Amino acid sequence: MKISLDWLKEYVALPASPDDLSARLTDGGTEVVGRARIGDVPAKVVVAQILSREQHPNADRLSVCQVDDGSGHPRQIVCGAKNFQVGDKVPLALPGAVLGADFKIKSGKLRGVVSDGMMCSAKELGLAEDAEGLLILPPESAVGVELRALFQPDEVFELEVTPNRPDLLGYWGVAREIGALLGNSVQRPVVSLPEERPAGSAVTLEDPSCPFYTARIIRGVKVGPSPEWLRQRLEAVGLRSINNIVDITNFVLQETGQPLHAFDLAKLGQCVVVRSAKEGETMVALDGTNVQLTERDLVIADQDRPVAIAGIMGGVETGVSEGTTDVLLESAWFAPSRIRKSSRELGLATDSSYRFERRVDPLGVKVASARATDLILELAGGTADPQLLVAGEIPPNGATVSFDPARCRALLGLAISDVEMEDVLRRLGLEPTGRDWNVPSYRADLTREVDLIEEVIRLVGIDRVPAQLRGFPAAVGVADVRYDNAQKLRERLRAQGFSEARTSHFVSAQSLPDSALGLDHVLSIRNPLGAEQAMLRPSLMTGLLEAAAHNLRHGVADVRLFELGLVFARGEREESTNLALVTTGLRDAVNWQEGALESDLADVKGVIASVLGGIDVEERGEKGLMLRLRGRGYEGTLLRLSRAQCERIGAKSPVIFAELSVDALLDAPAPTVRVTPLPRFPAVDRDLSLLLSGSTDFAQLRQSIQSSRIPHLQNVELKDVFTDSTGGKIAADQRSLTVTLTFRDAGRTLTAEEVDRAVQSLCDHLKSELGAVLRS
Amino acid sequence: MREELQSLREDALREVLSAIDLPALEAVRVGLVGRSGRLTRLSEQMRHVSAEDRPEIGKLLHAVRATITSALEERLSVLQAAAEEASLSIIDPTLPGVSRRVGSQHPLQVLEKRVVGIFRRMGFALAEGPDIETEWHCFDALNTPPDHPARNEQDTFYLPDGRLLRTHTSSVQIRTMENQPPPVRIIAPGAAYRRDEVDATHLAQFTQMEGLYVDQDVTLGDLKGTLEYFFRELFGPDTKVRFRPHFFPFTEPSYEIDVRAAALGGGERWLELAGCGMVDPAVFEQINTRRGDRAFDPDKVSGFAFGFGLERLAMILFGVSDIRMFVENDQRFLAQFPA
Repeated sequence: MKISLDWLKEYVALPASPDDLSARLTDGGTEVVGRARIGDVPAKVVVAQILSREQHPNADRLSVCQVDDGSGHPRQIVCGAKNFQVGDKVPLALPGAVLGADFKIKSGKLRGVVSDGMMCSAKELGLAEDAEGLLILPPESAVGVELRALFQPDEVFELEVTPNRPDLLGYWGVAREIGALLGNSVQRPVVSLPEERPAGSAVTLEDPSCPFYTARIIRGVKVGPSPEWLRQRLEAVGLRSINNIVDITNFVLQETGQPLHAFDLAKLGQCVVVRSAKEGETMVALDGTNVQLTERDLVIADQDRPVAIAGIMGGVETGVSEGTTDVLLESAWFAPSRIRKSSRELGLATDSSYRFERRVDPLGVKVASARATDLILELAGGTADPQLLVAGEIPPNGATVSFDPARCRALLGLAISDVEMEDVLRRLGLEPTGRDWNVPSYRADLTREVDLIEEVIRLVGIDRVPAQLRGFPAAVGVADVRYDNAQKLRERLRAQGFSEARTSHFVSAQSLPDSALGLDHVLSIRNPLGAEQAMLRPSLMTGLLEAAAHNLRHGVADVRLFELGLVFARGEREESTNLALVTTGLRDAVNWQEGALESDLADVKGVIASVLGGIDVEERGEKGLMLRLRGRGYEGTLLRLSRAQCERIGAKSPVIFAELSVDALLDAPAPTVRVTPLPRFPAVDRDLSLLLSGSTDFAQLRQSIQSSRIPHLQNVELKDVFTDSTGGKIAADQRSLTVTLTFRDAGRTLTAEEVDRAVQSLCDHLKSELGAVLRS
Repeated sequence: MREELQSLREDALREVLSAIDLPALEAVRVGLVGRSGRLTRLSEQMRHVSAEDRPEIGKLLHAVRATITSALEERLSVLQAAAEEASLSIIDPTLPGVSRRVGSQHPLQVLEKRVVGIFRRMGFALAEGPDIETEWHCFDALNTPPDHPARNEQDTFYLPDGRLLRTHTSSVQIRTMENQPPPVRIIAPGAAYRRDEVDATHLAQFTQMEGLYVDQDVTLGDLKGTLEYFFRELFGPDTKVRFRPHFFPFTEPSYEIDVRAAALGGGERWLELAGCGMVDPAVFEQINTRRGDRAFDPDKVSGFAFGFGLERLAMILFGVSDIRMFVENDQRFLAQFPA
C-alpha cells in the first residue's frame, strides 16, 4: 500500500523525520519496503501562460507557442503535447533547468524552429509516476512564479501490510495505527450518516456472499475533471485521474479502505440484484476486457444482465461518463473468500478486490458511502436522496476477548504492569468491559487472548523482553543417528576424492531409464512447472549424470561426484535415501610416480567396499557391465554406462555409475566394539599363479578356493592379473591370476611342510574344479 | 716381533686413512685382519714366542689389534656417511608430493553442518518428516485458513491423490508433536517446494531449517535468547539481531529476524534471514485433537518455532550471486568448499 506522507498528515501528526516514522512503522510490524520522494520540483521552472499556439511548419505533431513567463517578453516554445489551450497556465522549464537526474534544458532549434525552454508534464517534474500531457496549473497561479513555491515536496512510503491487518489498507487506518504507536490523536473529516430506508425490491441479495448492500442515489451531478488537489492526491500514489465522480470513489477507497462503485443510474435497469453469475454470462469490464463469467463469480446485476463483478470491477456500459447526471453509489460488504476465488479465477486483481478479499470493516460501509456523497455534492454538485437504501444486515463484528495480564506476562517473559498493558489496548481502540475487552469492528484479527498479547508486545517492543538462554540435554533420536551416519559417509567419500552434489528432486519422464520398474511405480506431480519437472525422482541417476554432463561441457574432464539424497517411489516406503556415485576420467590428481589412472569399475567398487564396510554379495547383471551389490545395510547396482549413454552426456572416457539404497545403514546405531585378541603366532604367505580359461571369472576362483576347506587358510587376496593378447607368454584365451594365500594357526607356528601340503591340495582342487594350471 | 707389531700399527693406520672409498677400505681391512691378513699372520706367530715374553707381546698384540679395529670402524663410518651423502644427490626432494585428491563439500552442507552444530550445543535434537505431505500437516494443523493463497495450485505442487510437496519444513513441527509429548526441542533441515519459476534467486525446490521448542514456561524471552545466541555463533560476536513484528498463521506473536554483521558484508544493511514466533495455541489444539489427549494443552505448555532458508543464507555468506549454482554441481565451484 502506497502512502503519501503529505496526505497522511491531514489525519495524524507525524514525526518530523520520515526516517523516524519508517522505523516506528517497521518496529510496529508494518514494514516500509519502499520510499520515494516526489514534488521536489527543480529550480528554474516557472508558471507560464500560453499566449498563442500555431502548427509547426515542419512537423505535424509539434506546435509553436508564444508564452508569457512573467519577464515581460514573450518566449517561443516548441511543444509536442496536445492537451492544452491558449490561456492555460503550465509549468515552463527555462534554459538551465535540470529535470530528473541529468536532463538539462537548453535553448535550441526543433525541426528548424527556435525553442527557448520546455513546457512540462507532471511526470517530467517528478510530481507523478504516470501522467500524460502538460500539467495544467490552476488559473489563479501567478505567472512567473517558481513552481517550487507552489508544490509541497512529499514522500511516498510503500507499506507491506500483512494479511491479518486489512485495516491498514486505508489512510484512516494507517493514521489510527500511527496514533496508537506514537500516542498521537487522530483527526478524521466529520462524516454524518444519513437516515436509512430498506431498499425493498430495488435491491435483492440472492447470495450469502453479500450479506449487506447500500445504495445512495445522487441526481443532477456534473461530471468533469477533478480539482487539482484531488488529482495530486491520486497521482501521488500512482492512480490516474479519470473524472470527478470516479476520482472521488477512488479517493474514498484510499481514505477509508472501503471500495465503492458509482453506476450511471440512467443506464441501470429498474433494480439491483446481487447474485452468482450464470454459466456463460459475459460482461465488458471497465478495463475493456470481455469477461467470461461462471457461477463461481458474484455479480451485481439489474433485471437483465450483470453490470459489475462484485467487489472486483464495474462494467463499462453502466460506468460513469461525461454524460452522466444521476449516480447510484454502491457501498457493500462481500465475503472475502468468494472475492478471492473469483479474482484469482478471472485473473483480475484490483484495488477493490485486494481489500474485499482481506475483509473490509463492516462498520465502514456506511461511513465511506456518506463521505463519498459529501465529496460528490461538494465537487460535482447535484442532490443526494436523503435516505440511504439498505439491504441485508451488517455482518457480525467486534469480538469480546478475555485477557489475563498474568498470562501475558508469562508468555512474554516480561515484567509489565497491568496498567501499561491496559493503556496499550486502549490506544489500539479496545474498550474494557468487566475483565474482558471489546475489539473494534475493523480488527477482525483479534479474537483470542493470544492476539491481544501480540498487540501488547507489538506496541511495547520486544527490545524490553530480557533474552533468556536455557539448555537441556537432548535425547538422541533416530534422526540424530541418521544425521551422524550420513556425515560419516560423506567424510569417507570425500576422503576417496568424491565431491558432494545436490540435484533436483524433479525429473522428466523421458529421463527415466526405461528398464526400471516402469513409470507406474514413479510418483508424478499434478501441476508441474513443466514436463522437465513432472516426476519425483525414483533414482539419483538423472540428476547426477546431468551434473557430470555439466562438468564435461565446462571443460572439467575428471568427474568424481556423489549424492546422498531422497528418492521417491509408490509403495510402502515412498521416500528413501540413496547414495549414488559417478566417475569419469582420471580417478585422482596427475601422479608423476605411478602414472595417470583412469577411473573404472574396480575403482568405484573399491570405494564402495571401503566406504560402506565391505561387499558381502555380488552378482553379475544379465547384460552390459553391471553388478548387483549387497553389504551390511545397503544394496544396489554398479555399472559402466553404455557407449550411447556416454555420448549423451558428452563423455569420452568410460563413465562408472553406482546407486545404492542406504537407509538401513543410516538407521544403524554405531556398533559397540569388542576387541579380538591379537594373533600370537606368525602367518605364512604363499603366492600362487594360476592359469585359467578367460571365461572363468575371479568370483568363481574365489568361490572355489573358499569351498576347498583347506586347513589354516585365512585369507585370499588377488595380487596380479596377467593376459597376453599376442599369445606369446600365455595363450590369448587364458588369464593368469596370482593370489596371495595367508595361512595361520591360532595355537602354534605352522611348519613349511604342512603349508606346502595345503597349497598342493588346493592346487589339486582348483585343477579338478576349474581346470586351473599352476604357472611356474 | 715387538718391532714388527709396532711397524704394522703405523703402516695400518696410514693405509686405513688413505682408503678413499668403501671398496678400498674393505681391501685394506682384508689385508690387515682378513683370514690371511698381516695382523692375523702375526698373531699366529704368538705360539713361537717364548713363555717369558708372551705376556708382554700378547698385551702389545691386543693393543695393536684394538687400534687397527677402531681405526677401521672410524674410517668406515666416515666413508659410509660420504657415500650416503653422494647417493642423496641423485634424489630431487623438490619434486611434488604424491597425494590423494580429497573431495569437496557442498556449500549447503557446509552451512547445514554449522547450523546443526550450534543448535546441538544448545540441546536441540534432530527431527525428520516426509517431503510428500498431507494438506493437513502442511496447512490445516498450522492454522492456515482454507482459502489461504499458499494452498493455491499456482503456488504449491500437488500429487494426483491430493497430497502435496511440503511448502515449508514447518510440517515437521506437526509430525514431531504428533509422536512425542513435551518437552520438544528439535531442529529439522530439509527440502521444501514452491511453484516458483527458477531464476537467479528462486528454485522450485530449496532447503529450510526448522526449529521448535515446546515445554512448560517457554517465553518470548527464550525465543529471543536462543536465536540471538544462534546468529552470534554463526556470524560472530559483532552480530546485531532485530526482531521485526510480522504475521504467520502458525505463530503469535510472530517476527521476522533481520541480521546485520560484518561476516555478511553489506555494512549497515539489515538482512531479513528468518521467521519465528510463539507457537499459536490453535496449532496445539490441532495436535491435541489428532493425538486424542491434552499433552499440548496451551494452558500448560508454550513454545516457539523458527525457520529459515539455507540457500539465501549461503548466498549471502559465501557471496554466491546465482542460486542455480547450488544445483549445477560444477566441480570448480564445489572445490571452493574443501572438507
